[in-house]
Amino acid sequence: MAWILKLVPRLVLGAAGISVATAVLAADITIGAAFPLSGPNASYGDIFGSGANLARDHINEDNLLGDKLRIQYEDTQALPQQGVISMNKLVNVARVPYVLSAFTGVSKAISTAAARTKTVAVNGGGVGPDLASLGAYFWNVIPLATDEVKAILPYLIKEKNLKKFVLIYVDDPLGEGIRKELETSLPKAGGELAESLSVPATMQQFAGIAARVRAANPDVIYIASYGSQQSQMIKQFRDNGIKQQIASYSAFSIPETNALPQAKGAVYTTQNIDWKSADPVTKRFVDDYQSKYNKLPSAYIANYYNAVRLFGLLASELKKKGEAITGENLLRQRNETKSFDLVGGKVTFAENGTVISPMQVNEIDGAGGKVVSVTGK
Amino acid sequence: MLVVQLFINGIQSGALYALIAVGFSLIFGCTRIFHFAHGATFTIAAYIFYYLYSMAQFHWVLAVLASTIGAIIFGVVLDRWIYAPIQRHEGSFFTVFVASLGIGIIVQNLIGMIFGRGFVSVATPLSESVELMPGLFVAPLSGLAIICMLVFFFALQVFLNRTHIGIAMRALSENPALVRIYGLNPRHLSTMVFAIGSVLVVPAAILTGAGSGLNPAIAHHVMLISLAATIVGGVGSMKGAALAGMLLGITENFALIYLGPQWSEAVTFVVLFLFILLRPSGFFGRAIAN
Repeated sequence: MAWILKLVPRLVLGAAGISVATAVLAADITIGAAFPLSGPNASYGDIFGSGANLARDHINEDNLLGDKLRIQYEDTQALPQQGVISMNKLVNVARVPYVLSAFTGVSKAISTAAARTKTVAVNGGGVGPDLASLGAYFWNVIPLATDEVKAILPYLIKEKNLKKFVLIYVDDPLGEGIRKELETSLPKAGGELAESLSVPATMQQFAGIAARVRAANPDVIYIASYGSQQSQMIKQFRDNGIKQQIASYSAFSIPETNALPQAKGAVYTTQNIDWKSADPVTKRFVDDYQSKYNKLPSAYIANYYNAVRLFGLLASELKKKGEAITGENLLRQRNETKSFDLVGGKVTFAENGTVISPMQVNEIDGAGGKVVSVTGK
Repeated sequence: MLVVQLFINGIQSGALYALIAVGFSLIFGCTRIFHFAHGATFTIAAYIFYYLYSMAQFHWVLAVLASTIGAIIFGVVLDRWIYAPIQRHEGSFFTVFVASLGIGIIVQNLIGMIFGRGFVSVATPLSESVELMPGLFVAPLSGLAIICMLVFFFALQVFLNRTHIGIAMRALSENPALVRIYGLNPRHLSTMVFAIGSVLVVPAAILTGAGSGLNPAIAHHVMLISLAATIVGGVGSMKGAALAGMLLGITENFALIYLGPQWSEAVTFVVLFLFILLRPSGFFGRAIAN
């Protein structure tokens, strides 16, 4: 009997502890994040999360929402089917009103659930042009591939006089989107797409493709892939005697690609952000990021900081009005507010839920990178 | 010249595939354990070498030695402390397979936590191609891959055919009960098989780290090729697995002459399906009748 007498108070205390914890969680405001946290693209999840977490910390420090903001992360492995599972868990179980999304394929896959459940999904990493037409509940805080391709072509064709392109693109909606954009924009810009070769997302051996690229003898090799695969391509192309200019889009901004010795000289586009800006939002973001990670942030990190900050600004307005924080109300508030103070300056959304931003061409120089051209300012 | 270039690339890929597949085939053929974590052995060996050689700046001989020891320990630990207890309790093929699959996933995540989840590569001038004649680029690593494959394969053949323990290992695949009657311990033989199978993956792991680079999820591709080569070569046949690995590497590269690169992995499975349909026992497998 003695053990029962000892056990009962412990169970009662335990149950009380659980109910207190539940009460704390219930008072929190939770948003979701469907990021790759494992698999070959997991490094993107770390990068995106660092921006989102910093914005969450700033919102909580400022007590912008009254309650604590939490982010519930789910692992998509950058795969559409895993993305749908993550989204279902976030909207049906956690019942979040706002989900951070990444990667074109995943974003397209979760957009139907977002529209059906009236949950706002915000993409800060995928750049497939299709992402501009996924409905009112799908927003993009990153310029899409159309802008990225249009920004790099004048630099390569007019400034560097490189006209003959070979495209290596991953066989998914992102790669397809970039192929279509290059096929349309290159002839108009005075260039030529000599060959486009699609690769499966799981492919890791590129020596054979290097032989095909060499045979085409281009001036520029445009790589439309991401994660470990793009780094493997660069290394294997250079090791296999390809000396021509390598170009790409914002996926090249990850540290592992920038640190690759073979990537030196490669150019890629991102949206233009002045990290030295005196604008208070940008300055606080850059200073706090640098003090935490001891390096400058990248555009991806700013995008996900902006995505979470955007939620904070919208939810704060809704709270002031005494309205519930739901996807529907967030969308209505976004249409009412018009412009937002985010990292990089004031941001306005186009009707299709996409931001318009100046673009820059970056060159990997082995010393943190340098901006070689800015367009659209 | 493109054909010659792709043939050379195919031989290099095939040599690495052969080394991976022979190790898997040896383990599966002798113990009937579907060692899905063979890919994890590959990842562990590759990352140990990467860390010691590229990060800690050890001499390459020490790094190779440590990588080999790491692979052996991992293989033996799995056999002794994971597979053996499962087999002792119920011996289900699928339970062992699921355990192996789970270990593969755990290792992938642990590697990601320790070494980061991004791309890394072993920096060496051996991976840089030299233009032998106009349009024909060959890296010293290609030659190394072929030499390693030949040396390890022939050493394995000699070991399996000329030594008592090698012959006992082959007997283990035929009839474990009979092996016990002859006074040999199947458990010890199984441990030996895992050790040798794990060693075979080490050169492929190191050369892949230098040639293609690494990420924690690289084991999936390794297992895909091992599985296909084991079936195409004939389950349990080392010679078959080696030939199948070469065949898959060459086919994968030759497919690029006529098809887009997105078909190169699919071609591997076309070869696999053709063998399953037309020659289910593989190159050197034996027909089994019940």
